Amino acid sequence: MPTEHTSDDGSVSPDRFWAARAVSRRQALLGAGGIAATVALSSCTGSGPSTTPSGPASGNPAPTSVPGSSGPSGTPKRGGKLSVAVEGNGLKDIMDAQNDLAKIDQARAVTGWEPLLEFDRDFKLSTTGLAESVEADGRLGYVIKLRKGVEFHNGKTLTADDAVYSLQRLTDPKLGLDGGTGLLSADPKNIKKIDTYTVRLGLKRPDVTIPFGLASYTATMVPEGYKNTGKSWQDGQVGTGPFRLTSFSPGQRSEHERFANYRLSGKPYLDNVTILDIDDPNARMNALISGQVQAIADVPYTQTNVITQQPSLVLFNNAGGGWLTLCMRIDQAPFTDVRVRQAFRLIVDRNQMLQNALGGFGRVANDLYAPFDPAYLQVPQREQDLEKAKSLLRAAGHENLTIDLQTSEVAAGLNAMCQVFAQQAKGAGVTVNVKVMDSTTFNNGFQKWTFSPDFWGTRNYLPQVAQGSLKGAPYNETYWPPKGSNFASLYQQALAEQDAGKQTDIIHEMMREEFDTGGYIIPFFDNLVDAYSNKVGGFQKNRGTLNLDYYGRHFADVYLV
Amino acid sequence: MTKNSPSLRLSRRLRPRGLAGLVAVRIALAVLTLVVVSIIVFASTQLLPGNAAKAKLGKQATRASLTALEKQLGLDQSAFHQYVHFVGGLLRGDPGNSLTSGQPIMADLTPRLANSAFLVLVAAAISIPLSLLIGSVAAVRRDGILDEISSFLQRVLASIPEFVIGLALIALFATSVLQVFPAVSIIPPGSPPWSNLDAIWLPALTLVLVVTPNIALIMRAAMIEVLESDYIESARLTGVPERRIVVRHALPNALAPAFQVIALNLAYLAGGVIVVESVFSYTGVGVAMRDAVLNRDFPTAQVVTMIIAGVYVVTNLAADIGTILVTPRLRTRLA
Repeated sequence: MPTEHTSDDGSVSPDRFWAARAVSRRQALLGAGGIAATVALSSCTGSGPSTTPSGPASGNPAPTSVPGSSGPSGTPKRGGKLSVAVEGNGLKDIMDAQNDLAKIDQARAVTGWEPLLEFDRDFKLSTTGLAESVEADGRLGYVIKLRKGVEFHNGKTLTADDAVYSLQRLTDPKLGLDGGTGLLSADPKNIKKIDTYTVRLGLKRPDVTIPFGLASYTATMVPEGYKNTGKSWQDGQVGTGPFRLTSFSPGQRSEHERFANYRLSGKPYLDNVTILDIDDPNARMNALISGQVQAIADVPYTQTNVITQQPSLVLFNNAGGGWLTLCMRIDQAPFTDVRVRQAFRLIVDRNQMLQNALGGFGRVANDLYAPFDPAYLQVPQREQDLEKAKSLLRAAGHENLTIDLQTSEVAAGLNAMCQVFAQQAKGAGVTVNVKVMDSTTFNNGFQKWTFSPDFWGTRNYLPQVAQGSLKGAPYNETYWPPKGSNFASLYQQALAEQDAGKQTDIIHEMMREEFDTGGYIIPFFDNLVDAYSNKVGGFQKNRGTLNLDYYGRHFADVYLV
Repeated sequence: MTKNSPSLRLSRRLRPRGLAGLVAVRIALAVLTLVVVSIIVFASTQLLPGNAAKAKLGKQATRASLTALEKQLGLDQSAFHQYVHFVGGLLRGDPGNSLTSGQPIMADLTPRLANSAFLVLVAAAISIPLSLLIGSVAAVRRDGILDEISSFLQRVLASIPEFVIGLALIALFATSVLQVFPAVSIIPPGSPPWSNLDAIWLPALTLVLVVTPNIALIMRAAMIEVLESDYIESARLTGVPERRIVVRHALPNALAPAFQVIALNLAYLAGGVIVVESVFSYTGVGVAMRDAVLNRDFPTAQVVTMIIAGVYVVTNLAADIGTILVTPRLRTRLA
């Protein structure tokens, strides 16, 4: 049976908290314990790249949108079938509720599975997920209270046994699941059921970022005994989400049907969702234009005018916290010399690169990530300075430097970004040989290339550091931090620090070091640019990582007009 | 171009054993060809950087997950062992599992083969009669306005790459101008291609436009050569009606060179369908082949290559036999 749940708007009572920092942010948002003033951002999009949010965390309460509020044209309607085309992964397509290898896997997983906590559309943590609350229990644990009466697709009720199994599966290092990458501090042997609806997640070390890990779109809840081998819900692909899987053909499509007993009553609106694997971006656009699908993820940046020219289509442009970067391995010549890294950062004309590589669909960045983190460091914008770059290179003994830049279009805009960098580098006397290769060859050299691009989604600062900027972090391309740096110990301090102000100070110190000497060149935050037919309503602006407004928040908020 | 083609010289030497002997020898040669092709394909997949496990896990590969997957896929074995294992399976009639999906290769490939074969057959069924007709008419009405126009169009089409033709057809019939056909050929899994005729028109039309000019140009040239020959001249002098001359005397003799070109084009269709399938996201072997190479899934790449190579061999053999059957001199020599 569908059960009542907390209000849709993601508001939480101020007495619930999981971490000092999260609370401080929430209090800023909620004011004196009241409901945040909610401003439904229109999901009609601007037709150009100018629709950016007010910029990186300014400290002001940002407007938050109400999930489930009405879309562009009136009230949601029940029924109908939506077909969505997403860049696929061919036979490498997987169906695992807690893992993803490609964007299409994300789309499939969000139809049927939900995490304990969620990010709202403003990228703030909210308790609209499967947990009523997640509270710190000392420095080495969190107590998770599950929402009662949540039903799985096969009729089973979600209980602590399922949550324990789910968390154990997520944190099993042998499985290497994406959903576990935000839970590296968790202790798999110390996940305990307290009562039918309560679980305690024990930690190996203090970590105030665990709630963010629990809100990751792949940190979902599965029933006890879940395996990823099934091809339908009858076959074991069971979750709690608004749609249940009826078929899955890797490289082709998956079909999803409405789950009548979804926990949010009245939702989802659609009867069926089909997710099509269409690799070629032009083919995706053509499928949308000719009406074969009603929504597509990832419109090529240079071809957005094809969409805007069609009165029946909506270009859906979301300024998230994702970023593209050029990665310099600080442990390899010539980047062992900090002056070379600094010179390379001064080579970039960020605005020109943004225009040429992304068609302007993004915001200029400042070699720092995590723009939505309240602790994001405000420093003057770094500008191109070819003279200074030359003199730094001269001082480092690297005049007339020649270097290879290996790249592959594993994310839209990477190759163009590299080409633009090569052009701009000529101004500083640096010859950059851009080597474009296929994705497998490129990924095969991941973390081996001396100089290569990469792409990242929206994360706050500390969770991002855990992913990419620590020794042993799974995706550390730059081999940060340098020898002799106290960056790693600052990180541990920040993880354990429960005082928001003190934690912000530590983060500022870490960001300052990365800003001055880091191995990333971060020219811009890239927008997610999708498109849909004006026959579809309910998509809303979203600052998160997933395309199409987190796929219409699990496809539960979208409907056919 | 045909009178002294290598296959016919070969056939002359094999005269005592007749047509059956020719076919037997050609099949033996075909098997040899396939073995060589398979070794080359295997060697090249080994030369590509990365393997199927790395391709699948991509950036997310950790040492532990990579080792586990490599072991599961048998990639920890030596290249020689992998190859022998694959060939052994093939000889038992089971090419094994895809390294990418872990499913039996044929389970994924069979519906794709059906889709591709149907596409190729539709394209061939339209383009072969059409091109023979255009070529013959153009030859009979040589230098007429029809001939000029068709020759010009054929030369233009023959010089445009197939993906450009495909994209132009999409713009024309699916997106920009008219919206009568689907732009992307979506065939639901488990349903046969002939129940999705909507999806087949544009890719088939693309292939027709690619193939027809080639055959028509050769057919026209062959027809002109025949029409200028002495025996046609004497037929005309004895008062045989022109229509009968063309249909009964000229056409059969012009078909021999056309068969060779048709075979080449059919073989091209089997391989060239890869590009067209990509343009239309058509679920066929072409896309499977592209993905298999990209994913370093060498058993799947092998099987697809074998099938395409097999089509080449069979069509060429069929063309040779066809040429012999329509050429009385060769026919009697073999008898």
